[in-house]
Amino acid sequence: MNAPFGETGALGPSAVLWLAPIIGFAFGWFLERGGLGNARKLAGQFYLTDLTVFKVMFSALLTAMLGAYWLDQFGLLDLQLVYLPETFVAPQAVGGVLFGAGFLVSGLCPGTSCVAAASGRLDGLAVVGGMLAGVFAFNLAFGWIEAFYDSTALGAVTLTDLAGVPRGVGVAVVTVLALGGFALAARIERRVK
Amino acid sequence: MTTVHQTLAICAAVLGLAAAAADRPDVDVAVLAAEMVSERDHITAPELAERIMRQDASLHVIDLRPRADYDVLHIPTATHAPLETLARQPFPRGASLVLYSEGSTHSAQGWVLLRLRGQRDVRFLREGMYEWLSRVMEPRLATDATDLERQEFARAEVQSRFFGGQPRSNMPRAEVPVGYWSAPSGSTSPATASAGPTTTADAIRATVGAIRRRGC
Repeated sequence: MNAPFGETGALGPSAVLWLAPIIGFAFGWFLERGGLGNARKLAGQFYLTDLTVFKVMFSALLTAMLGAYWLDQFGLLDLQLVYLPETFVAPQAVGGVLFGAGFLVSGLCPGTSCVAAASGRLDGLAVVGGMLAGVFAFNLAFGWIEAFYDSTALGAVTLTDLAGVPRGVGVAVVTVLALGGFALAARIERRVK
Repeated sequence: MTTVHQTLAICAAVLGLAAAAADRPDVDVAVLAAEMVSERDHITAPELAERIMRQDASLHVIDLRPRADYDVLHIPTATHAPLETLARQPFPRGASLVLYSEGSTHSAQGWVLLRLRGQRDVRFLREGMYEWLSRVMEPRLATDATDLERQEFARAEVQSRFFGGQPRSNMPRAEVPVGYWSAPSGSTSPATASAGPTTTADAIRATVGAIRRRGC
């Protein structure tokens, strides 16, 4: 039985739909246990007083990257079948800046706002409300921004494709950067304390 | 930093750095195109016969035809595998694969499949089973053969006898397809045929006749 199960037909469409909330709840549970339901902790990332966000996110990224890469190498997962989002340079850069600004103002990102709201924090609830209002406003304004939204398309590319290096080299580089980042984060946190 | 953190970091470093070493570089389609143009994608039947005769251990001959055809007749040492099996069948590292089918379509498609799967040494018989039968099992020599053709035929006779075939000498020239030998004589090449006593139309008729007779 090879992954991704939804694509290879090992799991039907309804089984995939049932599985989604289970994985979602697990994701939220681990975010909360990682301390990421707390807006002060998240805002600490931007002032370099608390690097929990960096550490949690980069460990998740590293685990997923190494897991996906090696499962693919051993033939248990076909990465060709895993959806790769397309790149639109300019609109995604603007979106990133907006996302960062919202993150800094609220102290929460979309995932952690749901976690905060679920654990009864009012600021989390407010951010979820703001996010839904933003989605609504985006859809109303879509006619005006559509041309920009579709501009500077590169297709479904990865950094290793653009650099023309094998995927494994990219995995090694990200691993080194992440481990270096963890060491640096530990040092910064020691200095702050 | 706790021992758990250190252990996890070491595991990540090992897996991450091993990825750079383990990765097979993606096959560049431009490289495949260059191999096709320079004809490094196929092998001739006598070359294949020679490798089978000297029991080349890295050689894997794969028959892509339907199972029933394989059961009736196949190239010695060949294993049977349809295209869909070829897409996922594992091969030993450093295997030298030779594909053949009835004609060349399936083996050329199989060549692309295997090259894209990262197999480096893949070749196919351009004219498939027909090429094996006509050039190894039943090599033909025209009555008016040149010295070069006779030399080639002498080599082909050895192979043919090894595989239990029937070399045939003293065939009419029209029964020996154009370009049959690796260095065809002037009289068999279409370019010089028009300049000689036979006309271009005759050469074309003879070639078409030969292709019809081979039923391929």
